[in-house]
Amino acid sequence: MSDKEEIPKIQRVVAVLWPSFLTSGVAMIIFYWIFSPEELFPELIASGVGNMAIYSVSFLFLWLTTLASCLLSCYFLRPCNRCND
Amino acid sequence: MSSPESNNAKQEYDSLYAKRKEIYPREVHGIFASWRVAMVALTLGLYYILPWINWGEGRQALLFDLPNRKFNIFMLTLWPQDLIYLSALLIISALALFLFTTVGGRLWCGYACPQTVWTEVFLWIERKVEGSRPQQMKLAKSPWNMNKIIRKGGKHVIWILFSLWTGFTFVGYFTPIRELVQAVPGWDMGPWESFWIFFYAFATYGNAGWLREQVCIYMCPYARFQSVMFDNNTLIISYDEKRGDPRGTRKRGTDKPTDKGDCIDCSLCVQACPTGIDIRDGLQYQCIACAACIDACDDVMEKMDYEPGLIRYTTLNEISGKGLHIFRPRVYLYSSILIGLILAMSWSLFTRIPVSLDVNRDRNILYREAANGDLENVFKLKIMNQDSKAHKFVITMEGLAGSVLDPDEKEISAASGETANTLVRVRASEDVIKDRSTNITIKVTAIDDEKLTDEEDARFIAPADWFQ
Repeated sequence: MSDKEEIPKIQRVVAVLWPSFLTSGVAMIIFYWIFSPEELFPELIASGVGNMAIYSVSFLFLWLTTLASCLLSCYFLRPCNRCND
Repeated sequence: MSSPESNNAKQEYDSLYAKRKEIYPREVHGIFASWRVAMVALTLGLYYILPWINWGEGRQALLFDLPNRKFNIFMLTLWPQDLIYLSALLIISALALFLFTTVGGRLWCGYACPQTVWTEVFLWIERKVEGSRPQQMKLAKSPWNMNKIIRKGGKHVIWILFSLWTGFTFVGYFTPIRELVQAVPGWDMGPWESFWIFFYAFATYGNAGWLREQVCIYMCPYARFQSVMFDNNTLIISYDEKRGDPRGTRKRGTDKPTDKGDCIDCSLCVQACPTGIDIRDGLQYQCIACAACIDACDDVMEKMDYEPGLIRYTTLNEISGKGLHIFRPRVYLYSSILIGLILAMSWSLFTRIPVSLDVNRDRNILYREAANGDLENVFKLKIMNQDSKAHKFVITMEGLAGSVLDPDEKEISAASGETANTLVRVRASEDVIKDRSTNITIKVTAIDDEKLTDEEDARFIAPADWFQ
């Protein structure tokens, strides 16, 4: 990509936040379709932590992970000639 | 160290960040604007009303009950093992989208996409508070004074309140909304309910209030592959270049200049566009097919006493004189696959047996010796009653001749849409056990309806040293 075809900042931000959100959503559905929180975290359930909390934290953790990988992709996609600036 | 040249290059590069120009779409009236208002009322009306509707025994008609891992969809209760229906529904929706797009272009974007309908409401609020397009632009340029603070602040307050209501409704699809609303005055809802209300409210406020067309341009995957679904017979919104060009201004009421086409270059089509493009430049992926430019242009054509339709729904073939072909092989193909899938899914849904059994071995011990010396395996049963009424079930077992089934409960009841959990012990004496692992089948049957039955295989495990 030439420097003149620069990507707007908003597109970069969205390219990190949005695909990670979508993929973690899909991953969540598949993962918790197979496993139930009761099977995975019986101790947490017994101590009164609700499923909603487990789902929410799992989703946010997954999102953070996929977000980190999108962020790295975005970072490595920087044109190499600019590393010398 | 960077050289002056590279500094210059850097500056040039920084200035090349596409700076977003604020778009103030002009309000239009016309047939397509009316259609959109109707669709906004329909889609958002459904969104805000549906969670309040109850079905059957006072249960919420639409409740994606994540804590209990079941989805209530009117008369249906879907469980994790019914994910196939959810997948089928998604495939059907995707195919329907392909079909609509092949025939009518981006109808979804212009009339039904949540981004469009919520933005439409936000724009309406903006117009009510800040006034028309010129008034909004004037307000944006004016220095900060009391009027500007009140108008801008007021708009954001209404936007935020509306977003919070939207977020509350969203969570109401996952947590019973009547319990949720009772918890609001004392702020008694769980921490995660509160979090998701604010999260969804923030997303609504950000997407419909601030990002708007940028969501369509940068976030929407559908917009990017529209060309795959389009062909020369797809209805698109297009400017009739042959009729409109060369463009030029002229006085109203005078005869049409002979050296000019019908486009009077009033730029109202551009002002009306919510994504800020000029439709006269041809089909662009930023076009969400909202048809605001058609309404704006037809209005002008009427005032000029010209034929409407300078910008209109048309196909590339029609515009080049090859006629309109709505029904074509691609449309037949998509339609037949779609109808086939819908029939298959409906058949499968309506003939499914609404009970399901889940058998899990007790994880703590593989086997144990009973008091009389027999060998015992313990299984946990989950009986899910997906029927619309309560049933009593009886548990039976096959596969290990001479064994005894000892359930915790002889008959177990489960209310509609509920799961009943129980333990069963399978006991057998050493002389009937022929192998280390024997396949058995555990079965549940409703007492009042023999057709309501499900079975699952399990393994009866014996000590390995018995068979050495």
